[in-house]
Order: sequence, then structure tokens, then C-alpha cells
Amino acid sequence: MKYLLLFGLLGLVFSPAKADEKKDPPKKATTYEVPYRLTDTKHIHVRVKINGKGPFNFIIDTGAPALIMTETLAKKVGGKTEDGWTTFDKLEIEGGLSIDKPRGVAIDMFQLKGMNSMGLAGVELHGVLGYNVLARYKIEYDFTETKLKWTPVDFKAPDPKRIVDKNGGQGGLEMIGTLTQVLSMIGGLKPNFTVHPRGFLGAEIESKDKELVIKNVLSGSPAEKAGLKVGDRIEEAKGKSLNSSEDLLEAVKKLPEGTSLKLTVKRGEETKDITVELGKGL
Amino acid sequence: MKKLLASLLLLPLAFNYAKADEKPLEKPKTQTVKFELVPSGHFIVSVKLNGNGPYNLIFDTGAPTTLITPRIAKDAKVVGEAKDKPLIPLFGMMGQVKIKEFTVGDVNAKDVSAMIMDHPTVKAFSQEYEKKHGSIDGIVGFPFFAQFKMTVDYSTKEMTFTPNGYKATDVMQDLMKTMMSSMVSKPEPRVAAPAGLWGLELAKSKDDEADGVDVKTVFAGTAAAAAGLKAGDRVLTIDGRWTDTVSDAYTATGYVKPGQTVSVVVKRDGKDVKLTVSPKNGL
Repeated sequence: MKYLLLFGLLGLVFSPAKADEKKDPPKKATTYEVPYRLTDTKHIHVRVKINGKGPFNFIIDTGAPALIMTETLAKKVGGKTEDGWTTFDKLEIEGGLSIDKPRGVAIDMFQLKGMNSMGLAGVELHGVLGYNVLARYKIEYDFTETKLKWTPVDFKAPDPKRIVDKNGGQGGLEMIGTLTQVLSMIGGLKPNFTVHPRGFLGAEIESKDKELVIKNVLSGSPAEKAGLKVGDRIEEAKGKSLNSSEDLLEAVKKLPEGTSLKLTVKRGEETKDITVELGKGL
Repeated sequence: MKKLLASLLLLPLAFNYAKADEKPLEKPKTQTVKFELVPSGHFIVSVKLNGNGPYNLIFDTGAPTTLITPRIAKDAKVVGEAKDKPLIPLFGMMGQVKIKEFTVGDVNAKDVSAMIMDHPTVKAFSQEYEKKHGSIDGIVGFPFFAQFKMTVDYSTKEMTFTPNGYKATDVMQDLMKTMMSSMVSKPEPRVAAPAGLWGLELAKSKDDEADGVDVKTVFAGTAAAAAGLKAGDRVLTIDGRWTDTVSDAYTATGYVKPGQTVSVVVKRDGKDVKLTVSPKNGL
């Protein structure tokens, strides 16, 4: 099982031989707020669009020399490959940042292949953002915040130099991607990347002295159909007693559309169990 | 498998221990670390382990673990504390250690976990740069830098670190837990939950690959109605986050607390329109 950790070490690979990077960094010194998430594997995941297609999931990786993605993806977005480099028209990073004519490397990274086959990261990973992109910005990371801060700097990144492993590969690590694919097939592990929208109740709630009072029932909402009324006090959700609206959100947070939710409410002196079929909406 | 389960059972103990050991944070102070950019586009920092060193390590935001070579593990006398030693020591793996004082430049982090191993790529780097920089003996990863607000600036070749109180959980332990639970039971569905009540129904058909999602319904008397959202609007971003699927939009609203005001960009009659929405408490 220890070999799993090797996935972590992304992109400490090579980069292609020749290149002449002459793109100016963006002129405006605006700071961009780039939303990120930490994957289950503790990688810093940002979303990008390439040539208008996507979004794709990339990892911020100072241990990688360049923008690297799978060959399949490079082909799909229409990258043009020459001398080992693939050029794209536009790279957009979520949060409003855009880079014209970025160059990258199309190669199937064994680390991504292995992680994706087992669904380890919790999200399908398509590539990494390395040095030739990252060096154009001063980047602030803070995992107590939900966004990274990217400020363009005036730095022309010289071309990354290729480091050649004498054996041509990565010292025997390449087999790990394939090995995990086989292992996960045998073990019946399937990646689980689908995200479902949470179900909708359609009730505005007010938290008063540890009581959760329904302040508004939206017209045509599941709450209205189930007979919830303004003034009802919600005491329990799914059989768990509630002290705050956070408790209620916590109880419901894993219930997708179409599931039912049992609420215990107090109306006047009367206690009622009301089951709501959660609908579509937010 | 037995060994795996045993180490899983030990987890709660490990966590309790860590909590008991917690100390109040010192006043956050920002420190600067110079780094050495090498021709392959990587950068090297100077690291001390429990005051021993300095050693050269690669700084890697893509590494969820910190790695040290057996050479410096021996030099810093941390080998004896190693846990989870592998039965077959591939790549010189000698197990995992917690370094009490892990210092990058002058920036000190406590109890940083690190794996001891001879990573082939680190070896290749070391051979490449040995003449100019001395040997390279590992990788600084997430367990170190997650404890700080950090900036990286290639133009000045400087990083800054300010303690932020973030407590990183151990990636190996987390992964083992996920894998074990997915082996014994069906994995839970991943659900994106909004943090507030917006009063919207969104939709997107399967063959629609354009940016954004459609507003199908705006409920009367809600935050969305007050913000001027209309059925037929195409929502492009919520608080700067792309909303190209319905689930994306739910994920984006998961970051917006009731009462917080965020901008929403919609396409309406061919034009981008920026609205501000402040969701309410509810669901």
C-alpha cells in the first residue's frame, strides 16, 4: 500500500528539450482570486478551460516544469504539437484569469492515471499547472481561505531544462499507474466522481433562542406540498434533534434530489411528523 | 490486511495524542525564505531537521507528503523513530517519521510528518545539480506548507510564510480510511449542498455544452427574486466560480453563507449582466 504515496509526487518529471518562451506576462497588476479545492489526496486543485473547452481539473505543482496534460486531452482541445511542446490558443483559470498562447506538454502521467483509476483524489484529474505557468504570478496560498490570490509579476520564465534519467524512465515508478489500474479492477474499486445536487425544501428558516422557526414557505415548493406552515418549529430532522440551522443543514447535506426527509415540527402545542419529498432547487 | 486494520484501529489514539499536545499559537509573524531556482524550473530550499543540516530539498506544492532521503534521516538521527516500516524496502523506504522541528530557511514548523525513501526522481535531480548546489535530499510538501499562509514569487525568488493555524490531516491515514470504507460498503454519493436559500431552480440539458446553466424558475419573495434574476437567464459564474453544470452551481453556493453578498454573472439577451445576491437562511 505504501506505493500510493508516490502519486503525490507529481510532475517531478522532465520537460521537452527545445523551446523559446517569449510571451509577455499580463500587463495589468490586478490580483485574481482563484477558487481552489484540496483533493482527498491533498493536492491543490483548480479548474481550467483550454481553448474554451472544459472545465478540466488541474493541480498546482511547483514540482512540475510546465503545463502538463494527457495526450487525449491535448488532442481533444485542439493543441498543436511541435518539437515536444503543445501550443494552445487560450488557457483560462477559474476566477477570471486568462493566458494567451500557452505552451504545454502532452504526456500521460502515471501518477494521474493511477489516482484516477482508483478515484483516490475524489475528482478526475486531467493535468498539472507547473513552472512555465506559475512563474508568471506571485501566488498566495492559505488553506483557511477558499481562494488563492494570483498577482501577475514581470518575470520571463527561461525554458525549463530537461533532466534525463539514464534509464530513460522514472526509475521504475512508471509501472505503478498500470499496477493500480489492475489492482483496482481486481479489488472492484470504482472511481466515484459524480456530484449530485442536494435536495430542495423551499423554506426560509430563522434561528431564535435555539428554536428553528419557518419564516417563509416558498410557493410551489416541496415544503408547501408537504404541508409545512410559517411559524412551524422544526425540532428534529431524520430523527436527530436540532439546536441551530447549521444542525439542520448538516442533517440534510448528503440528501440528493428525490430523497425524502422526515421532519418533526411543533405547531402550537401539537407535534407532527412531516415527510418531505426533496425537489429541485436551491 | 490484518496489519492494515491494526493500524486503522490505532488512528483514534494518534489523533488524541496530537490534540493533547496542541499548544497555543504564537502571534503570526511573516518570514521570508529565499529559494534557488534551477534550470529545470524547480526550486530548492535549505532545510534543517531538528537543528541538523542544512540540507537541500525541492519545494513541491504538488507533493502531499514530505520526503527525506535515508542519508539525511540518518544524519539527523530520526531513523530510530520511524513507524510503518515496509516489509520490502523498495526505493530504500524506511517508514514514516514526525520531525519535531522542521525548518525551511528560518521558518520553523513543528511535528511535520515525512517519509524516508530514496525517490528515483530525487536521485536524478541530485545527480544533475550536485556540482553546483550539493546533493538534493528530498521534497518539502503539504505537511509543511499547509501550516502557513504562503506566497511564492519567482521574480524575487522569495517565499513568505505566516502561520495560519491550519491543521493538516495525514493524507495516508485519510486515504486508507476512504479505501477501507469503500471496500466494506457502497461509497456514499457525493452531494453538493448550498449553504443558504437562493430561491432558484436551475437546469441544463444533456446535449448542452455551452458555458453556464439556465434559470428555470425564480421563486417569488426570495433572494434570487430580490436580486433581479429571471427565468431564462444563463448563470455563468457565482462569486467567481464557473457554473457550467447544475452541480457546479450547487458547489459554488456551498461557499456562500446566508447574509453574505456575492456577485452572479448571467447572460441575458446576449449580454453579460452582473447581479448581486445575498442568500437567506434556509434550504
